[in-house]
Amino acid sequence: MNSPTKIAALAFPLLALGGAALWATTPAPMPHPATKPRRIVSLNLCADQLVLALADRDQIAGVTRNATDTEMSGEAAKARGQPVLKNSAEQILAIDPDLVVGMPASRSAPMRALKGHRFNLLDLQSADTVDQIYASIRQTAVAVGHPERGEALVARMQAALARLGKPGGGKVAAYYQRRGFMTGTGTLIDDLMQRMGLVNLAAKLDKPPLSQLSLEEMVAAQPDYLIVESATDKIADQGTEMLHHPALAGIPRISIPQAWTVCGSPAYVQAAEGMAQQLARFQDRTHAR
Amino acid sequence: MTLSRPVLITGLLALTLVAAIGSILFGPVHLSLARMVAAFTGHGDRIASTILLELRLPRMLLGLGVGAMLGLAGAALQGYLRNPLAEPAVLGTSNAASLGAVAALYFGLVELHPVMLPALSVLAALLSLVGLSVLAGRSESPLTLILAGIAIATLATAGVSLALNLSPNPFAAMEIMTWLLGSLENRSFDHVWIAYPCIAIGGLLLFWDGRALDALTLGEDGAQALGVDIQRTRIRLLLGTAIGVGGAVAVSGAIGFVGLIVPHLVRPLTDRSPSAILLPSAIGGAALLTFADLAVRLIDTKNELKLGVVTAFLGVPVFLIHLMRERRLW
Repeated sequence: MNSPTKIAALAFPLLALGGAALWATTPAPMPHPATKPRRIVSLNLCADQLVLALADRDQIAGVTRNATDTEMSGEAAKARGQPVLKNSAEQILAIDPDLVVGMPASRSAPMRALKGHRFNLLDLQSADTVDQIYASIRQTAVAVGHPERGEALVARMQAALARLGKPGGGKVAAYYQRRGFMTGTGTLIDDLMQRMGLVNLAAKLDKPPLSQLSLEEMVAAQPDYLIVESATDKIADQGTEMLHHPALAGIPRISIPQAWTVCGSPAYVQAAEGMAQQLARFQDRTHAR
Repeated sequence: MTLSRPVLITGLLALTLVAAIGSILFGPVHLSLARMVAAFTGHGDRIASTILLELRLPRMLLGLGVGAMLGLAGAALQGYLRNPLAEPAVLGTSNAASLGAVAALYFGLVELHPVMLPALSVLAALLSLVGLSVLAGRSESPLTLILAGIAIATLATAGVSLALNLSPNPFAAMEIMTWLLGSLENRSFDHVWIAYPCIAIGGLLLFWDGRALDALTLGEDGAQALGVDIQRTRIRLLLGTAIGVGGAVAVSGAIGFVGLIVPHLVRPLTDRSPSAILLPSAIGGAALLTFADLAVRLIDTKNELKLGVVTAFLGVPVFLIHLMRERRLW
């Protein structure tokens, strides 16, 4: 399990569930592409986003409870009006889905509870690089019966990312989360930073995928940028309060909504664009001086 | 072993000074002595000055202030209630203050005005103390008071947990821990400005009644005969404890046992009169909490230890020894 945003977000039970099942190695029984599924059920937040992006609205029979939360899901707008399931085996049994998508689906609690029943499962892997996101998109597109949409989406993402260049210019950045958790290498955030031409402070300090860095150590390390989740822009509790300590006031901040980075989803492009824009703004300012 | 008062006070002050200096010297980042001296004389590099002046200094000041307040409140309450187990944490005052702070923070009242944080904390502490005197009343047994305190503390703890569960905060579990076990991690001067005025007012009110506390050792009637106004003394003690402990807890969370241990540690060194242990308890509390906070930083754990963990390990043995001695009264 090497997706730190998810580890840090353990308080979200759905993410934790998704994270806990990541080491599944059983090959996904591929759904039959010829017939389009009519009752698709998604079992976790990250699967929700892919299903919502690729399937027709009336193909979807259930998403999870955080799918409509704009703070957490990049596809929240599309999830509105969709039936929200409570991760319960009973509900799934009543729907009798012809496709169950999860990350992975076969290890999820409701599917274990329904062991005796045969469902068409799509097991997705959690994505730590943009290539893995492309792979998940293609897999999902085929499973929901719209492979051409998957290809088109991947092409759009590739084109958008190609336009961005490397505005980071080798500067050091730290992805600093509430309570001082810092995201390290081998993660989607790290992939995003490298794409921007930024050096991850965690890599420089040789830290694991998720580490806790005290304010003192952060002040001593003096990264060029702090990348924070936009949900922490406002002080809501002690965990976010530390990110607003006066000692950090001098470090420029890039703020990215968690909804774009917590899952490997099409929103990766938005995260990259948002980061590039903010980097460009800082660099204009430095040039102006 | 009774020490003369000047010797005792000087000794405790020296101990506090050592703790304070240690608190400035040690932290997760190693700074050379030269860099620190430069930072304090105003010629330091930006990193060293930020670490020392914006991170370690406010933390050290809060350790001293909160510790002094808790030690003093413990001494005053033990004297007034004539009960060796009385202290803000055991009586539920600290947890109630935590509940007030949690309510202010997590339901957005602090956004209305920053003063709401200590105000709610003080108010909740006051309510818990009033509730305690209603519950325990004029009961003869010291254990009634402790049991009532445990009831209030349990209720407040449950309240903190519930308030955080009800708030729209997905990280409630971590926050609950901090509020119930206490921490001085990541504090800034903003917190010093919240805590210190409360601690100053609370401290003043508690020091006021040293004489009355001495007179109370003769019982309430005896004290009244000596001219003590019991009613006013009680009000000053309630307000002093609530304001001081409320303000301290609002920035540090509920730190247990400091108010219990310190008076017991210094009492044998004095003439054992309640007034004589007030000042030594305050200074000793400051030293103890600052040392505990230093230990929290130096013990190498993956996540920083909570202060309440360290103070509980120090405090529970003292608590148990006293319970054993009191057994005949059960």
